[in-house]
Amino acid sequence: MTRTTSLQTRYHKESRIVSRKIAGECILVPISSKGGDLDSIYTLNEVGAFIWELIDGEKRLAQIKEIIVDEFEVGPERAEKDLEEFVLQLEQVGAVRSV
Amino acid sequence: MECVSVPSIDCSEFCRRLQGQVSGRRIPLTGSIEVTARCNLRCAHCYINLPAADTKARQEEMSCRDLCRFVDQIVDEGCLWLLLTGGEPFIRDDFLDIYTHSRKKGLLITLFTNGTLLTRRIAEHLAEWPPFKVEITFYGCTEQTYERVAGLPGSFKRCMQGIELLLALKLPVKLKTMVTTLNQHEVEEMGAYAEGLGLEFRFDPLLNARLNGDRTPTQFRISPQEVLALDCADKRRMQEWQEFHDRFMAPPLQPDYLYQCGAGLNTFHIDPYGAMSACMMSRTPSYDLRHGTFQQGWHEFMPDVRTQRWTRDSPCKRCDLISLCEQCPGWAQIEKGDQESRVEYLCEIAHLRANTFGKRASKEKKGVE
Repeated sequence: MTRTTSLQTRYHKESRIVSRKIAGECILVPISSKGGDLDSIYTLNEVGAFIWELIDGEKRLAQIKEIIVDEFEVGPERAEKDLEEFVLQLEQVGAVRSV
Repeated sequence: MECVSVPSIDCSEFCRRLQGQVSGRRIPLTGSIEVTARCNLRCAHCYINLPAADTKARQEEMSCRDLCRFVDQIVDEGCLWLLLTGGEPFIRDDFLDIYTHSRKKGLLITLFTNGTLLTRRIAEHLAEWPPFKVEITFYGCTEQTYERVAGLPGSFKRCMQGIELLLALKLPVKLKTMVTTLNQHEVEEMGAYAEGLGLEFRFDPLLNARLNGDRTPTQFRISPQEVLALDCADKRRMQEWQEFHDRFMAPPLQPDYLYQCGAGLNTFHIDPYGAMSACMMSRTPSYDLRHGTFQQGWHEFMPDVRTQRWTRDSPCKRCDLISLCEQCPGWAQIEKGDQESRVEYLCEIAHLRANTFGKRASKEKKGVE
């Protein structure tokens, strides 16, 4: 089944994955057996790390999208598409869950 | 705006990438903590196995609270890979608390254990909070050999049970052994046993003296010639040595400095009593974490350790074989009582290796020409 999301959705971070910033790299480290593939860690680029910081269980994706548009050189449509794909990937690896 | 995605990367691959990125920068990416110097086994060759019931050693060990505080501090400084070892770590009733705290902070944990104290409850806990690796040291494939080394009746069976418990829960186990005069005849069998279980296996024949300078463990060393024979007995190990020789054989890059390795640059070690040093071998000088923070030790103390210079002439100072040799300030301190003396045993092994792998390299070179 294809996962979807909407701009009204709020996400919170799962405690099974911990974010670390090491030598300028932002990484997500699965720490419990319920946290997905434990042989791997996940790397986030600058934009991904920026979005990760904004995910707090309070903000809806629509609000996060607005902040991205203000912060980066990107149009609303592209920002929305990229943001939705990104949170769905985060959800798939067990890093976030919709509220 | 660059595309956003969540690429996954294998931990070992990430390790290589990160090490490239931090090259030359002082970030404590990897470290080790000995949570105790006590052990339930009495291995003849071991350098850190105070009796399990040693009350004084137990009382002086860092508390769980202290250890968790240090873990928080090393995480803040950028540590990702942490080795928890002993003695035997599971001899501490609170070890799982220390372990779980470290895991929850996002550290990738390698555990060194003899496996004999593992229980179903411990295995299940580890399965819930999986380590990066559990390395079990075993000492022989037969009860007789194992217990001749370990000095405790019943320990062979308990070790085997421990291995089975972890494997049943698909935990990432690796087997290893210290090669001594007591078990050298079973090294091949131990490798085959590990292979039969689908596990990685490594062995180390280089025994060092006890941390207090007691040389008893050195009585169980195999000879330098036997070390070389082991290098050459295994095709993969021989190839690794050959590649290492061909790649790194060169005079020291900075011959004036005592430290030629990465100790204290991207690594650290903390002993059971809160003394931080550059690595597990190199215990002096050390920084007392009970009277300071990891940050202070890492930034204010460790650079001075790294930049120590030779104070006298030594044959090791400009030796071309330095990369093939285990000689380091730590080995020298433990075995000879000072950081600069040559350890003859290591020197002899390095020369044998250079002779063997150097000849092979020049033969191959002639073949190409």
